[in-house]
Amino acid sequence: MEQATEANVKQKIPNPRVEMFKAMMGRFFQNKLAVLGGFFTFLLIFMAIFASVIVPHDPIEQNYSEIMMSPSADHWFGTDEIGRDIFSRVIYGAQVSLQAGLISVGIALAVGVPIGLISGYYRGFWDEFVIMRFTDAMLSFPPLVLALALAAVLGAGLENAMIAIGIVLTPNFIRLIRAEVIAHREREYVEAGKASGLRDWRIILIHILPNTLAPIMVQATLAIASAIISEASLSYLGLGTQPPDPSWGAMLADGQGYLSDAPWIALFPGIFIFITVLSINLFGDGIRDMLDPKLK
Amino acid sequence: MRKLFLFALLLAFSFLMVACSSASSSTDGNDASEGDSDNQSEDSSSSNSESKDTLVIGLDDDPPQLDPHRSSAAVDRQTFQSLYNKLIDINENLELEPELATDWNISDDGLTYTLTLQEGVTFHDGTDFNAEAVKFNFERMLDPDFASPRASEVNLIEEVNVLGDYEVEIVLSEPFAPFLSVLTDRAGMMVSPTAVEELGDDFANQPVGTGPYEFVERVAQSKIELTRYEGYWREKPAIANVEIRPFPDANVRVTNLVSGELDLLNKIAFKDIEKLKEDPSITLLEKDALGYQGIHLNTEVEPFTNKNIRQAINLAIDREAITRVVFHGGAVPAVSAFAPSSWAAPDFEQPNADVEAAKALVEESGLTDVSFTLKINPKPEEEQMAQMMQAMLSEVGITMEIEMVEFGTMLDQLSTGDFEAVRLGWSGRTDPDGNAYRFFYTDAPNNYTNYSNPEVDGLLDEARTVSVQEERKAMYDQLSEILWDDAPYIFLYHERDYKAMKNYVKGFEHVADTMVRTESVYFE
Repeated sequence: MEQATEANVKQKIPNPRVEMFKAMMGRFFQNKLAVLGGFFTFLLIFMAIFASVIVPHDPIEQNYSEIMMSPSADHWFGTDEIGRDIFSRVIYGAQVSLQAGLISVGIALAVGVPIGLISGYYRGFWDEFVIMRFTDAMLSFPPLVLALALAAVLGAGLENAMIAIGIVLTPNFIRLIRAEVIAHREREYVEAGKASGLRDWRIILIHILPNTLAPIMVQATLAIASAIISEASLSYLGLGTQPPDPSWGAMLADGQGYLSDAPWIALFPGIFIFITVLSINLFGDGIRDMLDPKLK
Repeated sequence: MRKLFLFALLLAFSFLMVACSSASSSTDGNDASEGDSDNQSEDSSSSNSESKDTLVIGLDDDPPQLDPHRSSAAVDRQTFQSLYNKLIDINENLELEPELATDWNISDDGLTYTLTLQEGVTFHDGTDFNAEAVKFNFERMLDPDFASPRASEVNLIEEVNVLGDYEVEIVLSEPFAPFLSVLTDRAGMMVSPTAVEELGDDFANQPVGTGPYEFVERVAQSKIELTRYEGYWREKPAIANVEIRPFPDANVRVTNLVSGELDLLNKIAFKDIEKLKEDPSITLLEKDALGYQGIHLNTEVEPFTNKNIRQAINLAIDREAITRVVFHGGAVPAVSAFAPSSWAAPDFEQPNADVEAAKALVEESGLTDVSFTLKINPKPEEEQMAQMMQAMLSEVGITMEIEMVEFGTMLDQLSTGDFEAVRLGWSGRTDPDGNAYRFFYTDAPNNYTNYSNPEVDGLLDEARTVSVQEERKAMYDQLSEILWDDAPYIFLYHERDYKAMKNYVKGFEHVADTMVRTESVYFE
């Protein structure tokens, strides 16, 4: 009896935050594709973290007596043109891809968010004529072409590729955050903050920034997917990850010449790029729907 | 999954073929020649008619231009074999053979070359070929305003004297034993003086030679059309037309050969050797070529200022494994600049993959953490080989980074010295001098390694002045020994040359200079 009343009491005074979270999770789990995408994304992260435990062979070890072997019990995905185990390379390649995705988006966030916040909050000449025109100019380039040019200038290598991709992604974040801030700076709570004498940086960081987190999260998730594709493209063209480190894009390029003799060399990294990017996109869509209170 | 994949592949190929066949049907003969020979140039180039009269050749790249005296790309030379004659040719045994010059005499001091010329030869535009034409050609190559890439091969010529209509005398400023073999390549190709004067720079787009085929039309990146020259001085070729098409991708090239779009390929990917050997509809010809492949080490920068390190690399690399895994037997391990097909090839053998000796050398060098960056061209075979060498060198304690650099940039960096190690070879010349002098003589134009050894310079100079082959062989043997020991350049392998053709293509003469000689080819 007492328990029941206690339960009743709890039901009567629901914690609004918990309720909101529950509703959000409910929305997310309704979306079957998003759940699947999330599952694969986390599986990949798991594989990348525990790569050294999972892989049956050293990813860079060459065995000249086992070149271009088709998939078998010993080599699940076969071996490549210099006798390396493709399964092991694909798993280690997940490390490279996820690293590239996270770090380049991290760079874009680190640069884009502060610029977007300041630009949107203060507006004026710098915002309108310098920062916005500059982002326009950058956005007018096809993203891959710009990344290629930057990577070529910086020099080949994974670090430089990540920096190049980060730079290419930055204008999107600047524009997104600026737009959000402009919407928020006219709201009453900002007015109230100003009226009570809060400094600008407090308003920006403590009050406006948390309110823009949802769109940033969604954009960042989707950007990770495109960063992974960009890294694969740069590596495919020889400007990304350098041999012998395994990168899906570079493996695809390696295997291209052997499509008719040993299709598995290019096939498996190709499948993994496809699944990874699709999963992250589905997952990102799910997060967007989850965070959007207007969607029911 | 595999079935789906194969299906997609099949679909892609079939699109490709549709694209190719529609390209070849839009042809209208545009006759560039004038004079007494143009009325015979009947043009029928639908490539798959019953009575096949066109030889379709697949090249590994589009020739940049068609003027032999302007040419600096290896792929140009393939087209020149049909358009031009050389003064002298080489045969399958690498012996000199008369072509436009029927006979030659060298004075005892090795300075004066007297050539007797073939009579009754006309250029495609009707101009007579004679001693004056020869003089004109050499003067063109030597003209500083024209800036011919040939100049470095013929710059020892002091004067060219016309002794009679069909006799010409070439005087050199110093003895140069390889001179005759220079005349078997582009420097010996004769262009029409009339056409050059008329067309100027445009000659490269409307070439006029004395060769078995004359130029018809060119569509850049698509095809070059040639037709039989009816006024040809030797027996006219059996096939009426030649069409040359560029296919930079080796897979596409081979697929087009197998499907019958192409009759003959000048180059195949090494991985396809087995497949083409087994294909009953394909004839695959194999020949040791003249070039070599390896690594330039910049001897002026760390760690290659240290001879021990250079020697360690020389010893650490397993050349057998590279030729077997990457080249599927299409290359042989190299220890010198002279391929097995050359008379200058050394008889000695050098140790292969002597890991212990290499380790000892690294220790002896006194250096720790030896590392360098190898620049390579972004090509599958290059990457494969570089990664193998990376693994081999790590075993002896040398860290090698691999950097992929676009070909043009790589050549720039080579000439400015902005590199530690670069993977680049040489297509080879008939005379051993052409494989060694320009790379290992102090301050020579292609001495990228900045190597300088007075003993080597002395040998290279001397080998130019002596004309007895045995004596020259002894000098080149000595040179090979010194270069192996000093190791400014790591010789890796000598490529074999492959020519793949449909089995109805007959009469092809496979010479080690890797050229496609169309003159003798016929269909059966």
